Amino acid sequence: MDVELIEIHEFLLAHPPFEHLPESALNALPTQLSVRYLRRGQVFPPDNSAEQLWLLRTGAVEFRDPAGELIERLSEGEHYAAPCSDTPKLATRGKVIEDSLFYLLPCAALQALCQQYPDFQRHFEHDLRARLQQAIQQLQQSHGSSHNLMHVEAGRLIKRAPITIAPDKSIREAATLMSEQSASSLLVLEQGKLIGILTDRDLRQRCIAAGVDVSQALSQIMSPDPDTLESHAPAFEALILMTRRHIHHLPIVDSAGILQGVITASDILHQHNLNTVTLASTIRHSQDLASLASACKQLPELQAQLINNGLSADQLTQALSAVSDGLTQRLLELAEQQLGPAPVPYAWLCCGSQARREQTAVSDQDHALLLDDAFQPEHDAYFAALARFVSDGLDACGFVYCPGDSMASNPRWRQPRRVWRGYFEQWIKQPEPMALMYASIFFDMRAIHGEPALFRSLQQEVLQRCQGNTIFLSHLVGNALKYRPPLGFFRQFVLIHDGEHKDTLDIKHCGLIPVVDLARIYALSAGITATNTRERLKAAEAAGVLSHDGAQDLLHALEFIATLRARHQAEQHLAGLPMDNYLAPDQLSRPERAQLKDAFAIISTMQQAMELHYQSSRLR
Amino acid sequence: MFGTWGLNLQRRRLLAKLPDNPLRDYYRQAFPSAGCDCRSIEFVALDLETTGLDPERDVILSIGLVTIRGLAIELGSAEHHLLCPHCPIPEQSAVIHCITDDQAAKGKDLAEVLPGLLAQLSGKVMIAHYAAVEMQFLDRACRKLYGGGFVIPVVDTQRIAKRSLERRNQVIRGRDLRLAECRRRLGLPHYRMHNALSDALASGELFLVQLAQYDCNKKVALKHFL
Repeated sequence: MDVELIEIHEFLLAHPPFEHLPESALNALPTQLSVRYLRRGQVFPPDNSAEQLWLLRTGAVEFRDPAGELIERLSEGEHYAAPCSDTPKLATRGKVIEDSLFYLLPCAALQALCQQYPDFQRHFEHDLRARLQQAIQQLQQSHGSSHNLMHVEAGRLIKRAPITIAPDKSIREAATLMSEQSASSLLVLEQGKLIGILTDRDLRQRCIAAGVDVSQALSQIMSPDPDTLESHAPAFEALILMTRRHIHHLPIVDSAGILQGVITASDILHQHNLNTVTLASTIRHSQDLASLASACKQLPELQAQLINNGLSADQLTQALSAVSDGLTQRLLELAEQQLGPAPVPYAWLCCGSQARREQTAVSDQDHALLLDDAFQPEHDAYFAALARFVSDGLDACGFVYCPGDSMASNPRWRQPRRVWRGYFEQWIKQPEPMALMYASIFFDMRAIHGEPALFRSLQQEVLQRCQGNTIFLSHLVGNALKYRPPLGFFRQFVLIHDGEHKDTLDIKHCGLIPVVDLARIYALSAGITATNTRERLKAAEAAGVLSHDGAQDLLHALEFIATLRARHQAEQHLAGLPMDNYLAPDQLSRPERAQLKDAFAIISTMQQAMELHYQSSRLR
Repeated sequence: MFGTWGLNLQRRRLLAKLPDNPLRDYYRQAFPSAGCDCRSIEFVALDLETTGLDPERDVILSIGLVTIRGLAIELGSAEHHLLCPHCPIPEQSAVIHCITDDQAAKGKDLAEVLPGLLAQLSGKVMIAHYAAVEMQFLDRACRKLYGGGFVIPVVDTQRIAKRSLERRNQVIRGRDLRLAECRRRLGLPHYRMHNALSDALASGELFLVQLAQYDCNKKVALKHFL
């Protein structure tokens, strides 16, 4: 007998998860199916239907909650597996909204396939987390090789055993040892403990240029208490640390703290051609705005390259934020050279995505100036000029002016500490819509230049006020819930709650911002000082305001969405287009759409949990 | 419109007349009555590919069939048989069904396949698109092999489509009644035509749609479709 249900076979072959089945299983599948047709308006699934998976061949089915709000819509090639679920929820009944033809697979046959093919099973796991985790791996694997900075451990880049010296040896002895070993750095050990590092640069700048006698002890010119990194950390972390600290040599220790060796910026440079350390170094040594601007032209290219090197989205934005921190600092130094020393101490605060270390090459600038309370009105001319210089500089370097004017060049955001304290007090006491908008910008703040102590005390006060202030927090929740992730996709459209379709997906506001907002609220409710969303979520878990599962779910959802965005931007760059946050659904593969839908579902669940916790729906 | 009463009468007459053979076995089971609810009847959607349209001169090349039970097409019941025609396949039919002489040579004899086919159809209702061809060829085969004619209640999806166009006072062109065109009008997916099993499935699905025009929660009598 010659059974070929070619039409059915071809359809299965084109739709997940069936496409993942091996040929033998796929060939045997059509004969296990049955075909049904339901007209528009019918209840779905129909009464008394057997337990089976419904695969939609043509047509559409819609699910709404008791309040009539759209929950989900199925279109061609999508399936409804709830009848086969182990833990049947109070099943929502759907409605057929277009005449629909279905292929049905009995649950027993589905379970048999699941047992035999784990990849296939994963698709039906109710554990969104496991599915999303796998998706993230696939997404990252599809970009970049296994030789990239994310997969290589820092320790693997060590070229030779550490070259060490005692702190009481003379500078001459140190220089001789370095020449003999042709090493560009020495690790200074005292009783087996790392107390300093001596580099070529130290010899030049702190000895020869400063006229220090070479018979003196080398401890005089070494850099004491150097940063170290554990050898198991990804090489990428070394890159971030070097970029952030402006260093080129990084001692590597094992998990017990035993010195393993040193890695240099050029060891990492070897791993990929354009890197953040070199860019940061160029920025650091630029003497004028023109050279800064020309260095920053590489940023989009750098972003595209880092993604293609397999960096995760988190690592990418950390790296780019480190570069923009360096850029801001350099601009401030240049401004100070031009304007002279500041009349009173100040702290330059970066806000928003830069403060969260979540910048991309297309972020805009958000910043503020926190001035010492000794500030007098006549000092403002200096700080206005300083702010203008930095703000213009950032704009020239590709970080465009903040459309909402949340910049230190705006006198409102250039104030002494007492005024800032008053701002926060008022926002917290009277959480009006504008106050809530400012809160979302200025509660993500980091001091990157000047007097960090100024900011630390302000931050402590603000956090104390927020913690336990349920009224303020519930307003913040209400505000955060303005951005809700879409339900998923329907045909070539993004499916949103009111049932209307949008043709592109604003992945920033639909996916990233909701998680950022949730993390901020967890942080404020638990007095967490971290600004980075991932760090906030982890700290919230540690503080007990977020469950372990909740934290893991949100971290994975964030990572998946951010990686999609980074890839989208890298593709745009490659195509010579400006980078943006608008993703067209047809840019996504079918499995990616399904995974993005999972990520949205996680965010939506966590939003609902938070809404319930703060009962903010009452206040809205 | 005599329902299936007349058919059952013929069936009993043949049952009395025929010697013991697969056709007699086929007639042992009564046909469903015209008042039966479609939801509880078993249907077999059937399609034949032939060398031409004259049952006296032409022969069957392939048979495709699939069972419909409880308003669901059971793909596990699908069968597709290639038959050996014992003669060259005329070119004008080969271009339609794409069955070559070499493929057909590997096919079975009708005498091998017919008993199984009759067993599948026994007690059921046949669905076909323009059923006259299937009826004539099966009748001819049964007379030749078993000495008796072939009868069965038939749902002709083409006739139903024609009636529904007439009811809307539409001018009907010949191609409007083709299987692919009927499916397209009702929003069914495009299948490649002229493979006996694909066509059987295609007409089975078309019947599900035609049936769905009635209220699915109430009894729908078979007589509406005969």
